Amino acid sequence: MKLKLKLSTKLEIMKYTVSVVLIIIIGSLIILSQGDSPLEAGKALLEGSVGSLSALGTTIRWTTPSIITGIAALIAFKSGIWNCGIEGQMYFGAFAAAIVGSAFTLPKMIHLPLTLIVAGLAGMAFAFIPAILKLTLNVNELICTLMLNYAANLFTEYLTFKYMGFDASELADAIATPDMHPTARLSTIIPRTSASTAIFIAIIIAIVIFLLYKYTVLGYELKMVGENLRFSKYGGVNYKKVFILIFLISGFIAGLCGGTEMSGSFGKFRPAFATNLGWDGVMIASIAKNNPIAVIFISIFWGMLKSGSFHMERMTNTNRLVITLLQAVFVLLVAVDYESLYKRFCEKRQLKKLRAQKEVG
Amino acid sequence: MDDIILEVKHISKYFGTFAANKNIDLKVKKGTVHSIIGENGAGKSTLMNMISGIYQPSQGEIYVKGEKVVFRNPNDATKRGIGMVHQEFMLFPELTILENLMMGFETTKSGRFLDKKKAAADIEEITKKYNFSIPLNQKAEELPVSLLQQVEIVKVLYKGAELIILDEPTAVLTPQGIEGLFAAIRNLTKLGKTIIMITHKLKEVMEISDYITVLKDGEVTGNLLPQETNEEEMASLMVGRKVLFNTTKQEKQIGGPILEVKKLTVADSDGVDRVKNVSLTVKKGEIVGIAGVAGSGQSELVEAIFGLRRPKSGDIYYKNELITNKTPREKRQVKIGYVPQDRLATGCCVNGSLMENCIMGYHVAHKFSNPRLINKKEARDFTEDVEKQFQVKIQDISDAMGTMSGGNIQKAIVGREFMQDNNLLIIEDPTRGIDVGAIEFIWQKIIDISEQGCSILLVSHELGEIMELSDRILIMYNGEITGNLLNTADLDEKTVGLYMLGGKKDEA
Repeated sequence: MKLKLKLSTKLEIMKYTVSVVLIIIIGSLIILSQGDSPLEAGKALLEGSVGSLSALGTTIRWTTPSIITGIAALIAFKSGIWNCGIEGQMYFGAFAAAIVGSAFTLPKMIHLPLTLIVAGLAGMAFAFIPAILKLTLNVNELICTLMLNYAANLFTEYLTFKYMGFDASELADAIATPDMHPTARLSTIIPRTSASTAIFIAIIIAIVIFLLYKYTVLGYELKMVGENLRFSKYGGVNYKKVFILIFLISGFIAGLCGGTEMSGSFGKFRPAFATNLGWDGVMIASIAKNNPIAVIFISIFWGMLKSGSFHMERMTNTNRLVITLLQAVFVLLVAVDYESLYKRFCEKRQLKKLRAQKEVG
Repeated sequence: MDDIILEVKHISKYFGTFAANKNIDLKVKKGTVHSIIGENGAGKSTLMNMISGIYQPSQGEIYVKGEKVVFRNPNDATKRGIGMVHQEFMLFPELTILENLMMGFETTKSGRFLDKKKAAADIEEITKKYNFSIPLNQKAEELPVSLLQQVEIVKVLYKGAELIILDEPTAVLTPQGIEGLFAAIRNLTKLGKTIIMITHKLKEVMEISDYITVLKDGEVTGNLLPQETNEEEMASLMVGRKVLFNTTKQEKQIGGPILEVKKLTVADSDGVDRVKNVSLTVKKGEIVGIAGVAGSGQSELVEAIFGLRRPKSGDIYYKNELITNKTPREKRQVKIGYVPQDRLATGCCVNGSLMENCIMGYHVAHKFSNPRLINKKEARDFTEDVEKQFQVKIQDISDAMGTMSGGNIQKAIVGREFMQDNNLLIIEDPTRGIDVGAIEFIWQKIIDISEQGCSILLVSHELGEIMELSDRILIMYNGEITGNLLNTADLDEKTVGLYMLGGKKDEA
């Protein structure tokens, strides 16, 4: 068993290393083709992500939502449910957090957790819609969650206007909810950056989910429902309960991410603030292949690229979109089935050995 | 030389360091039935997969009609006229039979559009020539297994196969179905086709084969002619020891009723009644066998009893308690177990480890010491018990279920259900497609567990199995129970067969 585990871990590590090396090569070629220097761009990227304390802060700031949305997506995907509504659930969470955080003050000990929990519950409530539609009317959750993202985005915008008064501003991006009170804000861990204690929340969530899958009956049932639904029904898993739970947990975590975004960095809700954070989660979950711990590491990489890319754009001529492009290519590279490639390679080697032996014999 | 259609020389296949086939030689003559027999894991399927292009041999050569060939994929083999009918059917349940047959071999008009009419005409010509009758416009999921098998055979014929490999073809058929299949095989060979048949069933081998090759542990242990050998010789070549086909039964006490089904009617997903007004009783410690032609409603009946399918009307009582609409979870909690017919789709999770597969059901019926947490030690102990008592061959219990052979998967599934001290076991085709040693083993386990007081409802498409094990035999025909016979010594297969085909019926 030990040997085998080692092999699969080795393969995992190899997979990411190969992908990173390839992405560097592909990225360099793209940057070269635009007449810029890959070296300089790379240098700027590194400087912007880990080159200074404030750069590190920005990296941590972007790592945080990546981990949380990544876990939210992973929970659903692992059980074979396509919750692509992370983005929308996050909007609801964020809006709820911004209101709870700004409407009144309470001692921090109460106000901050309350804000985050309400955010989670708001996301959860929004995720309940596709869940109930799926169970009662068998509505495909992929389409449903996908479409509800637009609803969430626009509806929270409407709510913001409604809350602030329709004459407050005519421009969607100029309007925002009032500033949240300091009692509802997470503290920063690196001064003058938006790196907040939310990173600890993110890591704790990832670890809790990891433990859930490893040690609990619920985690086992969640996993088996994803692997073989028929088998789970036959084995006595209450799959209806499991389905609802998956949506609720996934929605809660997505909503929580909205909350930490508000409490940790933005401080007030502005319509359409998230710019695809939810979709980053979907991408990260699909790279991490059902492993919550891998989500943490990929998110760190993601955060580095994101914070580095802003700096790179400022320092060099290279466009930030190159990085977005590379992120997508990275997903493709990791999706390659290296294991079967490796097996085929081993088989060929075996064959050669046999032939050689035969010739000697 | 020219009447040898297929020759395999010194072929070997390695998976990692494991040799599935070692230096195998095989010659198949045109127009004959050549049986390949051997236990599970003897390497029969591996050999056939190389001949049909699914695997590439690690060493050795394949000659078709005297010409050396290298198959890179199954299409290459198809082009050379080699077709394989797999044990687990490879059909798309949602497509019609015609669409399934056309798959990968589409007849087109104007180069782009499917020409279903022409394809249908071509196929009908083939079915007429070889005397098959299959409904082309029905969906595959609507047909019983015996027909699906015919579809598979027609599929390879349609692709122009000269040499047809049948992997365990009789595993799913009734005695009458087997006769039908054999008639078809004889017809095919008469018309010049060649058949390679993989099987464990020695009686059938004797009946149909022209040549027999025995495999054991990846090597050829015998090339025999049916007229010069007997079942005992084949069996000992296969397993290297004498096989007893008889199970030992002791006198046992049969108690009061455990399961009572009253006037149960069950419809399938299209609303057609598959089970009509069925009533039956299983008593404590009793083995009740349900015999019947495939598709007579047995699967729907047991699925309804276990809670996977909602009955339309009627009641199910278990220990005098109404359980008609209880979920499988609730049924497991009151100690009802189920071995499903479809072991891969329903019975296990191929990507999950043996341990994850074994604790399914256990986790709701028995509960771990803390019902919310999986107690690793408990899970491991239970899995190791199943592994030991049911001789499941696996390197490590954390290896994936899918890495094992079919027989071992079956032993693990049966073991999981048997080891949970259930009071009622519903067992469907427990020995489908597994080798003689394992069959004997599972049969004995079924008898043992019933002697310990467990009630068993056994559904099997294998009449011999029902006759061997049951205390009482119910016969299902067209959704109804037409016969209820005590399994006494003077009951013979022919009588039961008559009931199975609707030729005889008890008065209700």
